[in-house]
Amino acid sequence: MSSWTWFHRLASPPSFYRLADRLAPWLGWLSLALLAYGWINGLFFAPEDYQQKDAYRIIYVHVPAAALSLSLYVGMAVAGFVALVWRMKLAESALIAIAPVGASFTALALVTGMLWGKPMWGAYWVWDARLTSELVLLFLYLGVIGLWQAFEDPRAAARACALLAVVGVINVPIVKYSVDWWNSLHQGSTILKMGKPSITAAMAYPLFASLIGSYLFAGYVVLHRLQNELLLREGGTAWVRELMGKSRV
Amino acid sequence: MSAVLAILTRELRLALRSRMDWLLPLLFFVMVVLLFGLGARPNDPVLAGFAPSILWVGALLSMLLTLDRLFRADYEDGTLEQLCLAEAPLGLTVAAKLAAHWLLTGLPLVLLAAPLAVALQLPAAGLPALVWGLALGTPVLSFVGGFAAALTVALPRAGLLLPLLVLPLLAPVLIFGAGAVRAALGGLDAAAPLYFLAAVLVLCLTLVPWAAAAALRNAFE
Amino acid sequence: MTKRQKRMAAVLLLLVGLSVAAVLGFTAFSKNMMYFQTPSDIAAGQLPEGARIRLGGLVEKGSVQRGDGLVVNFSVADCDANLPVRYEGILPDLFREGQGVVAMGHMEGKTFVADEVLAKHDENYMPPELAEKLTTPDGKHSCAQFKSMGG
Repeated sequence: MSSWTWFHRLASPPSFYRLADRLAPWLGWLSLALLAYGWINGLFFAPEDYQQKDAYRIIYVHVPAAALSLSLYVGMAVAGFVALVWRMKLAESALIAIAPVGASFTALALVTGMLWGKPMWGAYWVWDARLTSELVLLFLYLGVIGLWQAFEDPRAAARACALLAVVGVINVPIVKYSVDWWNSLHQGSTILKMGKPSITAAMAYPLFASLIGSYLFAGYVVLHRLQNELLLREGGTAWVRELMGKSRV
Repeated sequence: MSAVLAILTRELRLALRSRMDWLLPLLFFVMVVLLFGLGARPNDPVLAGFAPSILWVGALLSMLLTLDRLFRADYEDGTLEQLCLAEAPLGLTVAAKLAAHWLLTGLPLVLLAAPLAVALQLPAAGLPALVWGLALGTPVLSFVGGFAAALTVALPRAGLLLPLLVLPLLAPVLIFGAGAVRAALGGLDAAAPLYFLAAVLVLCLTLVPWAAAAALRNAFE
Repeated sequence: MTKRQKRMAAVLLLLVGLSVAAVLGFTAFSKNMMYFQTPSDIAAGQLPEGARIRLGGLVEKGSVQRGDGLVVNFSVADCDANLPVRYEGILPDLFREGQGVVAMGHMEGKTFVADEVLAKHDENYMPPELAEKLTTPDGKHSCAQFKSMGG
């Protein structure tokens, strides 16, 4: 049993709130530094591409946004699964803290992809497996948000959203592997490709920096949203009152 | 098994007593499809090209109309709570209810599709793919719709939320259902998208009853 | 049935359902669900006249010829075969010889008539100097980009 105490402590809202308070500034500053390095280098100093000239530079926004849209959905579904099986309040709050952040990154991935597609492919939008499944992903996020808003009781809302999120997770591998399964217009994966490197170092380092920076930024935003969600749901409990009393001084 | 049969006959008997509940969505389907015919130029060949999507979207919309009531009446009069407590597994009960829903709303659409397709001047080459596609796809509409209806059964104004929940999950069914007809029209083999629809159908039959049962239990906690 | 038997039955049903769905899904995927064809697919099989398909391949070096107005004739090749294509319209910026394209259209005799041409770029990013070094003499540095569908 003793090995689980850390887990129970983490799952209790007050201790998680305090942990998030300590963690969030680190994530925020680190992400700011990485994004500044990645975007300034990527947009101004990285060499231009042999095919796409300067237009390829949108990958410094598009790739992190697209990666996050999938990762956050998986995170949301895992939180949903935990909420369904172990009835953990923290997971319920995490689920709804993630949803709007994931929806924003999905929308950003779609918009930047369209802006990239027009000059390169010749069309803003193609009804292609990758693009369609990413659009479905956006609707799944919106469905979770809409379902959450419709309920009055937060616990019932969280469980309904959790079910929807878990069912919708079937779309994630479809988005990820659509370019391999169907001969998609969308190019294949660059970073996760095995074998010979397909991006030169001067382009890759800013890409990795902006990728990690974006993940940290998403973590920062989710932590803050989760803290607010906890305060809202636990309002009136002793620890929230204590916290509010302290901050008022 | 007897519980499943009992639910099925109960649903069908209830439907016989309130015929309007399932006749109106059918009428809606017919009218939507015919309105496209009326709105287009007379004998416009372009219409035939759109016929697969019109029929599929019509089926999707008419199914949406029936979703809100799928579990609502049973929820309000307490039947659903009894079913949740009953000995028969709730997943099987839900599967029986959804099967009845398909028999009443999906199967008539499949039967009506061929004459309506002819009215939209869809060439005969596309008819088998259309009817097969709808026969495999409409149960998916019932089952996925049933899951969304179960999620929102406790909500008073679920009608507005249902399309948002259902349509993205059903987008692939529509894409491949209409795609099969277009392939058949072009003289290509329509088997691949139909196999895909069959795979989705079996997946739904296997997984949706349990997910919907969990969603219904959630409504009583 | 005891509780244990019920659980076994449920698990069995689940496994049967999932495996049947998997078999059907693989059958669908092995049958070219997106109607995507490479020039060698078209050379090998009988494609009905007028069927709308997606053609993918590389624009062959030296094959692009501008006709009257916006008409462009070019030839699309994969590793083994090539196919003449006619298109009327504005081509995307990235369209050039040796570059991947995906074209929607149908066969008319021996020619593929495209109504939409989209340029596909690969997943490689590198500065022009490096690309020159890596390119093979015939310009086909990525014909594996378009794989032919089996079955």
